[in-house]
Amino acid sequence: MLNGQPIAVQETGEKMLVELYRRYAGDYPKFFKMDTLCRLGFVAAELLLKGESVDAVVMANRSASIKNDTDYMATITDGNYYPSPALFVYTLPNIVTGEIAIRHHIQGETSFYILDSYEELEPIVKSQMADCTSPAAILAGWCECNGKNEFYAKLQIIWNN
Amino acid sequence: MEQLIEQLKNQIIEALNFEDMTPADIDTDAPLFGEGLGLDSIDALELIMLMDREYGIKLADPKIGKTIFRSVRTMAEYIQTNRTK
Amino acid sequence: MVYCLGHSIISPLGEGSQANVEAIRAGRSGLKLHTDRFLDVEPFCASLFDEPQDFVPLCVRSAEMALGQLPAGIGDKKETIFILSTTKGDNLDLLTPANKIARHFGNPNRPIVVSNACTSGVCAQITAKRLLEAGLYNYAVVVGCDIQSRFIVSGFQSFKALSPEPCLPFSPERRGLNLGEAAATIVYSNQPHEGWRLEAGAIHNDANHISAPSRTGEGSFLCLRDVLTGVTPADIDLLGVHGTATLYNDAMETIAIERAGLQRVPISALKPYYGHTMGAAGVVETIIGMLLLNKGTFIKMLSGFGGVNAAIRLKCE
Repeated sequence: MLNGQPIAVQETGEKMLVELYRRYAGDYPKFFKMDTLCRLGFVAAELLLKGESVDAVVMANRSASIKNDTDYMATITDGNYYPSPALFVYTLPNIVTGEIAIRHHIQGETSFYILDSYEELEPIVKSQMADCTSPAAILAGWCECNGKNEFYAKLQIIWNN
Repeated sequence: MEQLIEQLKNQIIEALNFEDMTPADIDTDAPLFGEGLGLDSIDALELIMLMDREYGIKLADPKIGKTIFRSVRTMAEYIQTNRTK
Repeated sequence: MVYCLGHSIISPLGEGSQANVEAIRAGRSGLKLHTDRFLDVEPFCASLFDEPQDFVPLCVRSAEMALGQLPAGIGDKKETIFILSTTKGDNLDLLTPANKIARHFGNPNRPIVVSNACTSGVCAQITAKRLLEAGLYNYAVVVGCDIQSRFIVSGFQSFKALSPEPCLPFSPERRGLNLGEAAATIVYSNQPHEGWRLEAGAIHNDANHISAPSRTGEGSFLCLRDVLTGVTPADIDLLGVHGTATLYNDAMETIAIERAGLQRVPISALKPYYGHTMGAAGVVETIIGMLLLNKGTFIKMLSGFGGVNAAIRLKCE
């Protein structure tokens, strides 16, 4: 769904993220190195930031980086201990904000919060808007991933007046 | 040797998540880092882990990886002489 | 501007902020070699509690100690927000322990967890400052805590980032970082109070790489530039750096410090005492900075994975 309009997709789950990546970006091979949480945030930001620019990225969810944490755990099981650095690097939720910052050259604030609900992000973003000296626009929202095919993102651009 | 190179290419594609890439897309003698496949430092660490997991080769010092990981061929040559499994 | 009403550190160096700063003055370090703490991991040098700690009770004990310093009759529960700074929480769960801590103190407000990699402890203080300045709450209890695990140590070992011996920030002999565990709390209020106050804070992304620090120190420089607004480098008495003792981080910080014109300011790097305490680092290192200085102006900076950098400026007259 973009600006209230549904987007037609053929695939579901993680394959849908790849489909959207190919349709709306396609020029960023690093996408395939990302975990599902980052792919989700990346694709959502790609859709929303067409022709728009922001100078901060603030996101939240309930479960941090649990999907990728679980994937990393699988590389350190007893008797098969080969910790994967490429997976470990994604065991922090704020990496998704970093990936978006790199893609869109955003050198302002990137923050990640773990909250019970989306509504709780609002006062945090509002107080941030009041505090910063020159925040033109913030990409803010919810980015949650509990499994390869179990995720939800809702992002918006919030302008300072 | 050719068989090892083919197997290694598959393992690299798998370990580094090269979507849609086949062994034929990787030039055996092209540089892995920089202008070649464009790998970064995390990829280098992942290759170190691959050497341990698949061939029982432990590279303690990431710096020696520089010469070993120059190309798929240099990697395969190192594996052939140093593998423990 | 927000005011510090109380603080505490619980670490392998001691119980309470005072015990911790005395240990540092005496040159004691929590770092030692651990050979059999976690299954499979190679021997590593870290600052760990002798007895493995449970996350929630450790945070509660730290918060109790800090809240105990508040003058009687202030800090009404409705006006207070709990902000937890952590990267891995209680066995990868971040929200449940935050709820448990707030509930322990009978706090009716939903707690906030800040998870911004290694910068979390400084970012949590910035979040506290904003919420208090906006008048949404009058008191904020910022708790920073991380406990080491097989998960974290194995990951840092896979990065080849851990030093086998006590770390040496900014030394040519450096061999990487050490990990550590601690819980620390700072209570802030928007009501004027004597002592240290948090005057400015900034967060910036390098927009360069998710795991490697910027070669030009971009994000850290922008943070220092922002927190220097309204003051000059000559006004700064102490700069608390991240100082992880990895080559790229040390180099990046050096560049950022020089670009910000702070190269003549004394710096403190506390990882040789605590290791990298992750979610606790920003809180622990802010408290130690205040106690080492006693009076003056202090900047605390941090940077971390995801390309994020943060800095705060504190003052005490």
